[in-house]
Amino acid sequence: MASSKEALVHIEHFKMEFAGVTVIEDLSFDVHRGETFGFLGSNGSGKTTTLRALLGIYKPNGGTLHIDGRAFTPQDGSRLGYLPEERGLYKKESVLTVMTYFGELKGLSKKVAADWSMNYLERVGLGDKGKTRVDKLSGGQQQKVQLGVTIMNDPELLILDEPTKGFDPVNRRLLMDIIEERKRAGSTVLMVTHQMEEVERLCDRIILLKDGRAEAYGTVPEVQNQFGGTMIKTHYSGEIPTSPHYEVTTRDRNYAELTLTDTADESDILRGLVNAGVLVRSFTPIKLSLDEIFVQVYGEQSQAVGA
Amino acid sequence: MKQHNLRTVVSFEVRRTLGKKRFWFMTLMVPIAIGIVLALVVLGNIVADNNFDNQSESEFSFTYTDASSFIDPSVATALGGMVTTEPAKAIAAVRAGKQDAHFVYPADPTTTPTEVYGVDKGLFENGKYSDIATQVLIRSAQDQIGDPALARLAQGNVPISATTFTEGKEAAGLMGIIPPLIFLVIFFLMFFLLANQMLTSTMEEKENRVTEMILTTLNPTALITGKIISLFIVGFAQALVFLLPVLVGYVFFRSTLSLPNIDLSSFTFDPAQLIVGALLAVGGFALFTSTTVAIGAVTPTAKDAGNIFSGLAVLMFIPLYAAPLIISDPQGPVAQLFTYFPYSAPVTAMLRNALGSLTGWEAAIVVTELFLLSALVLRIAVRLFQTGSIQYNNRVSLKTIFARSKALKATQP
Repeated sequence: MASSKEALVHIEHFKMEFAGVTVIEDLSFDVHRGETFGFLGSNGSGKTTTLRALLGIYKPNGGTLHIDGRAFTPQDGSRLGYLPEERGLYKKESVLTVMTYFGELKGLSKKVAADWSMNYLERVGLGDKGKTRVDKLSGGQQQKVQLGVTIMNDPELLILDEPTKGFDPVNRRLLMDIIEERKRAGSTVLMVTHQMEEVERLCDRIILLKDGRAEAYGTVPEVQNQFGGTMIKTHYSGEIPTSPHYEVTTRDRNYAELTLTDTADESDILRGLVNAGVLVRSFTPIKLSLDEIFVQVYGEQSQAVGA
Repeated sequence: MKQHNLRTVVSFEVRRTLGKKRFWFMTLMVPIAIGIVLALVVLGNIVADNNFDNQSESEFSFTYTDASSFIDPSVATALGGMVTTEPAKAIAAVRAGKQDAHFVYPADPTTTPTEVYGVDKGLFENGKYSDIATQVLIRSAQDQIGDPALARLAQGNVPISATTFTEGKEAAGLMGIIPPLIFLVIFFLMFFLLANQMLTSTMEEKENRVTEMILTTLNPTALITGKIISLFIVGFAQALVFLLPVLVGYVFFRSTLSLPNIDLSSFTFDPAQLIVGALLAVGGFALFTSTTVAIGAVTPTAKDAGNIFSGLAVLMFIPLYAAPLIISDPQGPVAQLFTYFPYSAPVTAMLRNALGSLTGWEAAIVVTELFLLSALVLRIAVRLFQTGSIQYNNRVSLKTIFARSKALKATQP
């Protein structure tokens, strides 16, 4: 679903300090209504802090953090689905009791919450676990329950902090399916993740956070262009002319790799080569993967790439 | 929505607490213990009655020497006694188990102890030797007085009816102290039975890592208030469970338990005293509950919370240690300090209220203080919960919380 340009989440000049240490220096970005937005950054870069400040759990030291035009309060919780990084449920209670409780707190009636919970549990293969205590479930089963609690109120905005953290491949696929489902249903999704394949599969736009500032921000292709832009692999005959738009980084007989040095259009480069009398046999633009960009941005700082 | 959420929290907290086996185990432990004690008392009384009947029927004999000349031989004989002139032999006979007991009455039994020698019959039954030796003396003295009325007077066995006045009205006395004092008992009972639950009630969100989901769904004030209300309800349920065996014991086993027949009409119920007592109990409970909840919100483990809580419990007990001073000099500095210091105020004021030494003004000030402070501590508890419950493994200092609050105010337009 294409996103409208209307910002559902608006963060402007957000600043956050803990005990005199600046965690977020000056952060601004928007999440458009209906889009899936990836919030990326190395561990400790301030992603969770930003989400907590956005949701009113932390008080910011400066800036504006709005959801739908105003600061979030728990009264808006009925429109929100939040899967925090630190997860848990009331472990000594039954699955159905916990789900119904959260459903009621999110504004559903007890009956609707209980019915929805039973249907959901059936769907995720836990239909017989309604009366089981949460701590008697496996870790994966608890994650499914937690996910159900997050989406049971049909949220307009879904905020997921490392949603696949600790998920096994089956639950990860279930989560991906649910996010896509929510996306199709018109929900706006803001997700923190280290899984670049998830970002490439799901996200319309992303932001890369480094040292409390936005290092890159935009659609995935825009960010790819921003970081080293595009590389072109070409097989040719003739002499490749020099150009301010690229640098020949590899040359081997009739093969060369051109790394773009600005935002020049690839078709202009091709036209320039042809006009210079180069016989171009193949011309393949290659973009940096998000994984490569992540490594380039965070380098050794990150311990989480590919985790 | 706020009301809906408050109801949801109260309903969830009450139902899950009352649904826990551990809660019922802890709650029923007290009435069961009371029941066992009552059963033992009933059994003991039955056995004692049987023993008494058996003893009455069994022969009991003793020898005695009388240097006082007060002993009436006919009285001693009627109780199984026989005078002897050879005390050494008599004591040897007791030592050998041939004689039950031997009493040596001195020249002046009022100043010199009467020596009693007996065959050991166990700790409790040995007491009968002294009883009989005393009975021989009393009955002999009564015989010498002659007039039964004079004899009873000499024993001090006379009923007295006392009437005292305060501010021109008849004072209630002991019967007026007991009803308002019940609030103090209920206060202590509820606080100590629910203390652990109070401490762990907010810790649970932290330990289960549900704080963030809660804080984004529910106003923390509604959560904390809901928890405190549910503690009141659970406390009320516990009080009912405790009262039940007492009522059953009184209604059905009063005579067996030798319980006095309580005539409610003999109690004086002063409405003003009762209202003040109830307000002090509720205000005090609210203050201690919100304080305990606040402690639970900032401490990472129940053990850490317990250490701080013990300090709170000491503050509650101090007025009881100082009770003689509070009773004898209610306007003295110690009583006044304890009356107005918030954490000693509930117990001190309830004590003084029952004794009638708490003036109307003092009561009004203390009640207002307790409710206002409860509201303030509740606000602090909410703030602590907001900040502290996210610090999953650390204790949060007040300095951190208020520094953050100050920073926020400074950045707000």
